[in-house]
Amino acid sequence: MLETFNFRVIWATMPQFLHGLGATAWISLAALVGAMLVGIVACVMRLSGRRLLIVPAVAFIEIIRSTPLLAQLYFFYFGLPALGLRATETQTGIMALALNSGAYVAEIIRAGVMSIPRGQTEAAVASGLNLLQRLRYVILPQAIGVSIPALLGQMIVLVKDSALLALISVFELTRAGQLMASERFMPAEGFFTTAVLYLLLYFVLKYASGQWQKRLIFRPAGGL
Amino acid sequence: MIRFRNVNKWFGPLHVLQAINLDVARSEVAVVCGPSGSGKSTLIRCINRLETIVSGEIHVDGVPVHDPGTDLIHLRADVGFVFQQFNLYPHMTALENVTLAPMKVRRLKAAHARQLGLDLLDKVGIHEKADAYPAQLSGGQQQRVAIARGLAMQPKIMLFDEPTSALDPEMINEVLEVMIQLARDGMTMVVVTHEMGFAREVGHKVIFMDAGQIVETAPPDEFFTRAQSERTLLFLSKILTH
Amino acid sequence: MWGHYLQSLMASLPFFFKGLGVTVQVAGLSLTIGTVCGFALGIARAGRVRAVDLALSAYLDLIRGTPFLVQLFIIFFILPEWGVHLDAFASAVLSLSVYGTAYICEIVYGALQGVGPGQKEAAAASGLTWLQQMRYVVVPQALRPILPPLVGQYVLLIKDTAVVSVIGLTDVTRVGWLTVQRIPNGILVFGLVGLMYFLICYPLVWVSNRLETRLTVEESSL
Repeated sequence: MLETFNFRVIWATMPQFLHGLGATAWISLAALVGAMLVGIVACVMRLSGRRLLIVPAVAFIEIIRSTPLLAQLYFFYFGLPALGLRATETQTGIMALALNSGAYVAEIIRAGVMSIPRGQTEAAVASGLNLLQRLRYVILPQAIGVSIPALLGQMIVLVKDSALLALISVFELTRAGQLMASERFMPAEGFFTTAVLYLLLYFVLKYASGQWQKRLIFRPAGGL
Repeated sequence: MIRFRNVNKWFGPLHVLQAINLDVARSEVAVVCGPSGSGKSTLIRCINRLETIVSGEIHVDGVPVHDPGTDLIHLRADVGFVFQQFNLYPHMTALENVTLAPMKVRRLKAAHARQLGLDLLDKVGIHEKADAYPAQLSGGQQQRVAIARGLAMQPKIMLFDEPTSALDPEMINEVLEVMIQLARDGMTMVVVTHEMGFAREVGHKVIFMDAGQIVETAPPDEFFTRAQSERTLLFLSKILTH
Repeated sequence: MWGHYLQSLMASLPFFFKGLGVTVQVAGLSLTIGTVCGFALGIARAGRVRAVDLALSAYLDLIRGTPFLVQLFIIFFILPEWGVHLDAFASAVLSLSVYGTAYICEIVYGALQGVGPGQKEAAAASGLTWLQQMRYVVVPQALRPILPPLVGQYVLLIKDTAVVSVIGLTDVTRVGWLTVQRIPNGILVFGLVGLMYFLICYPLVWVSNRLETRLTVEESSL
């Protein structure tokens, strides 16, 4: 089978694949930034102790976690026009990814918050910081700090999830492979190249996650 | 300055504070002691409402702490609190630990807050550790930073919840010295501790608690020499033999 | 307009239930295969034979480092080039099984690692063979911690079955995709699709949450 594998064509179309790789990288990064915002807001609402905020946050998190990303993507892709809203495929895709990952990020950060000793909150309370100040300066920096490895894991998930954007014809890495399969009838060349480039991103992120875990600057618990 | 009137608190079925009455005057140093589980930590934590009480009244500098409508941010800014476990923020340097509240609650300018922070770290004798993170400090140093942090809001009252009991013995004195200096400067203080040397040196009154009640309140000399209740005598015999 | 769409959507409800049936079939089959193979490989990995370990880590990295969609395309489009002809259903089950096995293998292996070495030593000291040590001592202890992540993984796998709709398998997602061409309101159509997945997945999410909170203590205040 390898003798029929056309490396020359792969080499010739490399610029297109690299273009797709770049698109996958920036789409994932943009979605991660969005997911952090969504996740922090959802997490804070969930931990706020106020029913009015907890209920929508929990509903959002559980609905996202109980339905497929592809269904969510189609929901927005075919649904936004029904609401009279216009967005490009890429914008729709990034929004769906950010909302989807946001629910998982909320849970990751919540686990981080739970791991912060109660004394941290008490110390902040005792010095007169209000709820938002406590979150902003004391709790979230520590919670996000301990969550970095898990967040990098979520970034790996995002890179892979972004492949689904190919299905709403966003040009990214998987779409590049798909085009090679459909236009040149070379699915093997197209999808193996795509897979190798995803693996490249994966190993970079995996390495970064390992490095970070090695050099955590501060331990979560002060004292003793 | 601090006034408890008939204060009660329950944790579930546990009656942890039973009809507590207590007065601490301006510039007075009150030392609270008693066996573990006697309610002394709960008592001190009620003063800035880290714990809420079920019934009774607490006034701090005239402010009704028991009243749910009271502006807690304001109250807490006037009351410094030092924890047994220090509870320093591990992601901030010593100086940042001290300056956070002045900058965010009092809205001090960065340069001004920094000067204040350095002065306070100087006062507790660790000026040179301003840029160190808590994990790089010994327990005694961490607790002194925590005291500086408590002082940063220029409080009228300082509360200490067993400030030396998480420390190795050789570090206890450096913390006590800071506290003694503070007392001599006229700070109103409530200190939960078993350091009877401290009580004798700067304490104005010793409050002995057991099983949620204040059993005895007396000036230190009297407390150590002429304690009246049997429970106090038993407690004293235990801690003074150490 | 919405009322009209809703009415035609209700009329195609049987179509959706047929799709749901396909989703359940694909998910049930590949979860079963993935669980069996995942346990076998997870236990094999705990054997610490170098060659097995290397082969398995390579397999795990390949699966975890690439999107499932790409894996599906490789199996569906490339196997025929090599003379292996599978229909959409078989391709879907095969790719989901290969994919699920990797994640379940990791969960099993991780939980087995969590059982202290003293347990194996004690079992070895009393003369049990390696397989007996695994069978009677290590695996039973690992089952409890395996359960919450395993249920969580099942939810992820059930949701991932939606992707197989793109190779023409008429699961509930593809039914939605076909319907939306006729009833052009994605909110209604994919709201219904989402609801169907939710009804299957949420009970499992709930169980997984419950299992996890029993292992850790919740509650913290800000």
